[in-house]
Amino acid sequence: MMAKIELIDVSIRDGNQCLWGAVALDTAQILGIAPVLDRVGFRALDFTSSTHMGIAVRNHRQDPWERIRMVRAAMPNTPLQFIGTGLRFISWDVAAPEFMQLVYERLVANGIPRFAIMDPTNDAEALLDSARMIRKAGADEVVAALTFTLSEVHDDAYYAALAARLSRSPHIDRLYIKDPSGLLTAERARTFIPAIRACMGGMELELHSHCTIGLSAQNYMVAAETGIAALQVALGPLANGSSLPDAQRVVANLREMRHTVDVDDRLLGAAAEYFSRLALAENLPAGAPQDYDASYLRHQLAGGVMSTTRRQLAELGLEHRFAELLQEVARVRADLGYPIMVTPYPQMVCSQALFNLLGTERYSNVSDQVIRYVLGKFGRPSAALDPNVLDRIMGHVRTREIAQEGAPPDLAQLRRRFKPGISDDEFLLRATMPPQQVDAMIASGPAPVHYNPRVRPILKLLAELMSRPAVADLTVEKPDFRLALHRSPREPEHVR
Amino acid sequence: MIVRRLLIANRGEIAVRVIRTCRRLGITPILAASSADLDSVAARLAHEVVCLGPPRSLDSYLNIDAVVAAAVRVRADAVHPGYGFLAENPRLAAACEAAGIAFVGPTPAQLAALGDKLNARRHAVAAGLPVVPGGEADDLESARTLAAAIGYPVLIKAVAGGGGRGMRHAHTDAELEQSLPRAMAEAAAAFGDGRIYLERFVTAGRHIEVQLLGDGATVIHLGTRDCSIQRRYQKLLEEAPAPGLAEDLRAGMEAAAIALGRHLGYRGLGTVEFLFDCEGGRFYFLEMNARIQVEHPVTEAICGRDLVEEQLAVAEGRRLRLSQDTVRLAGHAIECRLNAEDWLDGFRPSPGRVTCARFAAGEGIRLDGHVQADSQIPPYYDSLLAKLIVHGPDRPAALARMAGALERCEIGGVANTLPMHRALLAHPAFAAGGVTTGFFERFMAEQA
Amino acid sequence: MDLTDHDVRAILQLLDASVFDELDLETDAFKLTLRRAHGGGWTREDRALKRPRVLEVPPAAATPHAAAPGAGAGAGAGTLEVRSPLPGTFYRAPKPGAAPFVEVGVRVGPQTVVAIVETMKLMNSIHAGAAGCIAEICAVDGEMVAQHALLLRIQPDPP
Repeated sequence: MMAKIELIDVSIRDGNQCLWGAVALDTAQILGIAPVLDRVGFRALDFTSSTHMGIAVRNHRQDPWERIRMVRAAMPNTPLQFIGTGLRFISWDVAAPEFMQLVYERLVANGIPRFAIMDPTNDAEALLDSARMIRKAGADEVVAALTFTLSEVHDDAYYAALAARLSRSPHIDRLYIKDPSGLLTAERARTFIPAIRACMGGMELELHSHCTIGLSAQNYMVAAETGIAALQVALGPLANGSSLPDAQRVVANLREMRHTVDVDDRLLGAAAEYFSRLALAENLPAGAPQDYDASYLRHQLAGGVMSTTRRQLAELGLEHRFAELLQEVARVRADLGYPIMVTPYPQMVCSQALFNLLGTERYSNVSDQVIRYVLGKFGRPSAALDPNVLDRIMGHVRTREIAQEGAPPDLAQLRRRFKPGISDDEFLLRATMPPQQVDAMIASGPAPVHYNPRVRPILKLLAELMSRPAVADLTVEKPDFRLALHRSPREPEHVR
Repeated sequence: MIVRRLLIANRGEIAVRVIRTCRRLGITPILAASSADLDSVAARLAHEVVCLGPPRSLDSYLNIDAVVAAAVRVRADAVHPGYGFLAENPRLAAACEAAGIAFVGPTPAQLAALGDKLNARRHAVAAGLPVVPGGEADDLESARTLAAAIGYPVLIKAVAGGGGRGMRHAHTDAELEQSLPRAMAEAAAAFGDGRIYLERFVTAGRHIEVQLLGDGATVIHLGTRDCSIQRRYQKLLEEAPAPGLAEDLRAGMEAAAIALGRHLGYRGLGTVEFLFDCEGGRFYFLEMNARIQVEHPVTEAICGRDLVEEQLAVAEGRRLRLSQDTVRLAGHAIECRLNAEDWLDGFRPSPGRVTCARFAAGEGIRLDGHVQADSQIPPYYDSLLAKLIVHGPDRPAALARMAGALERCEIGGVANTLPMHRALLAHPAFAAGGVTTGFFERFMAEQA
Repeated sequence: MDLTDHDVRAILQLLDASVFDELDLETDAFKLTLRRAHGGGWTREDRALKRPRVLEVPPAAATPHAAAPGAGAGAGAGTLEVRSPLPGTFYRAPKPGAAPFVEVGVRVGPQTVVAIVETMKLMNSIHAGAAGCIAEICAVDGEMVAQHALLLRIQPDPP
């Protein structure tokens, strides 16, 4: 069946986060390609999040609000998206609802019209609350996530019920299948997607599936056949690996299957090329298509977590118990009501499994994170916790301490901690970040706005040559590129 | 709508200028050129070139059918008319609209309103602007009566004219009798419309203009420019902002310009030209140019925006992304128009082959040109070779930077006005700032 | 590679502090030369090198052999134009090194082969289409021609 599919580009936010630690791409580097990106014809751009805004301040010393405004001005045709969990803004502390309402209002005012909300435990109440607040703040489009995972409880019926609940909200415009671990096989997609769509009452559905073990190439094709309205993709070096599928490849495949994709191919290529050149200039890695790993569907531990855990075991002289650990990981996950194995849960589950392995009894040692999770501070777990395990954890002294932690301060209290008269934008940063970092950002002044990845290597070469004054003449030649530097003779030839 | 393919129906430096913005924004630039310009620098920078016709402007750059046909042929989303040629021709704008192609400029109605200089005056009056005392004159009789009313000396202007062309002055009835029929004949030949109007000729005046940008609903201004250094009403050197203007005068002109823009519901880039009568201390509306101007780079330098990009956004139907309070004007900018003319031989045009085109480069220096070594300057068009634009934190810094920059420029193979600009920069009256339109003639007399 | 004014300024900042007096940057599309000037400051020379892609205007009449009005200033009044039916490479001779099919002044008949246009390894014979004399060879041997490009002019025999 031929469909018209729209695209959402995640290069700047999710691609950057998966492959470049979220620290690449500052204001100038984004502005360098913004006008071209704007003309491709993307439905929206996955542009920023709490994490990225914090990195702008901390790593780039650039104002994240200014970045939003400038990119919005450079991209009048393409809505920019903010993605969040609704629980917090930049800092790890949970924020009061009033505070989050202000965050949403400032995001809308600075130029964000589209919001994606995901809950780490698929807590429908939490999602509905966030959607209501975001709509109140004046957002044009609210897209709620159905976060996908594999477990006994996360079957088609579970997701269909969630979709039915969310799609009935007047504050939600679209849903999207968020598959952060890349677990959705094409086979499962064939039942999963229709099951969800059937309960959505005509609301549109998008798909966002990571390429971790190479499944998205195929599930995206199934998605196009089963009524998905938009696919989320990434460009050039920011695609593949643990990021999203490559936009150009997806477009070509969709068209091969006779679907329509209304994007400007030339500009799509130009944007991909920009990121490639940027990656070259800044020594950043490019995502590569991933091998299928059958065991991944079972343990769901991404490569990084696996290698870290192995290392930790080796340091304790316990590497021989790795297989046993993996089994314990599965038990812990079930005990805790099947948290979705997305940061921070894989680490949380792994370290608890390790404690259980090392301790005299299971759950005799419990981390603060697990306690908070069990107390529902990360949202309501998807399924009931094992009652014995729950009892055990609730009996710990530390659990009582954490339960008594006060509620987050209200907005007025928070404002009083800082200088009166600062803008809301500045207040939101000061309330969530160390003061030295915000001060340093402000002291840096307006962010630079020019970046040309093709010129960077030339500038680097010149800077490098400053420390080599002996060089008199230099020529660099590559296909279709010649750079020559000359020095005029300063003295007559015979004086040496 | 999104403009992805733009037909540039112009030539020379403005074609190169528009192409530069296109390339930055990812818009495909397609040049529409006469056969004399098919290997120009603009042609080399464009994605492709379509030939409008033979070199003569009437057959090519002034050929509406050819321009529209070219736009349709290359599937252009929009046409950029540059300045001059058909830039303010309502029939081109209407023909583009009819063909479903966006015209980068104001509406046909606005072009018609402002292209007829008498109409423009009427709109200005309706918007509350002061206009130079004057009016239309059908014949010598009414002209003499009018001249008596407004007082000699008078300026005779073509109603359908513009760009400073076809203007004559008369100091007495006898001169009026001599000049009037000639002015009418010239107007008919140059603009296809022999109507003329008279204005009081302000002897000690400054030509100050205000840059406007509108989206049809909102109009903002981007500051003033002073273009008083002119020879036969052709601008040679421009500055932004206009130097040495009293604050209330400057604010008054900006407000007046906005009032006219609002009155028209203006869309696109436009410039309101004023004559500032230094002796009387008052300003008068002269005309409004409904296009991007040659001297737009000095405004870009002080406001930090790309005006071609703003034009394109308006053509796409976008609201202005700037508001008056986000506009920041900083520093001072000067532009020198480098023409292929021999300034010491009556400004005789010097077409031919450029052997060397070397220009100053560095902080605060910009060069908008279209010539390089081996460029052929054709004889059919204007003599503008390049615009050297300099920006500094204040006027003295800009002057010093321009003087230094002019020293480093070298154009070989054709006579050019670099030496004239060097002499201008060195002239104490110019350095002091605020010279009137009479200055250049005196300056030239000094050179003899 | 598009170098903006900002890029050039960034390069100049580093260049100025360096020992170098000249930078040449060249690609197939452009050449930029930055030189340190005597007395301080820098100059630039830009050269756009890429040959323009000129779109051919299709002739007013449909057939490739009809005379098109306004095609080129003043050339060949009364001559018939022979235009290329396809884009490709124009060859005047049947093989490299062989004698050309025709020269100016040579008599031709309607079926006379006057040139070859090679498109994707396919050789298209171009026929004169009329009886007369070759008046002008308009395209360059071995060069790419666009579809409808003017190849030759024929002075037809009087009817």
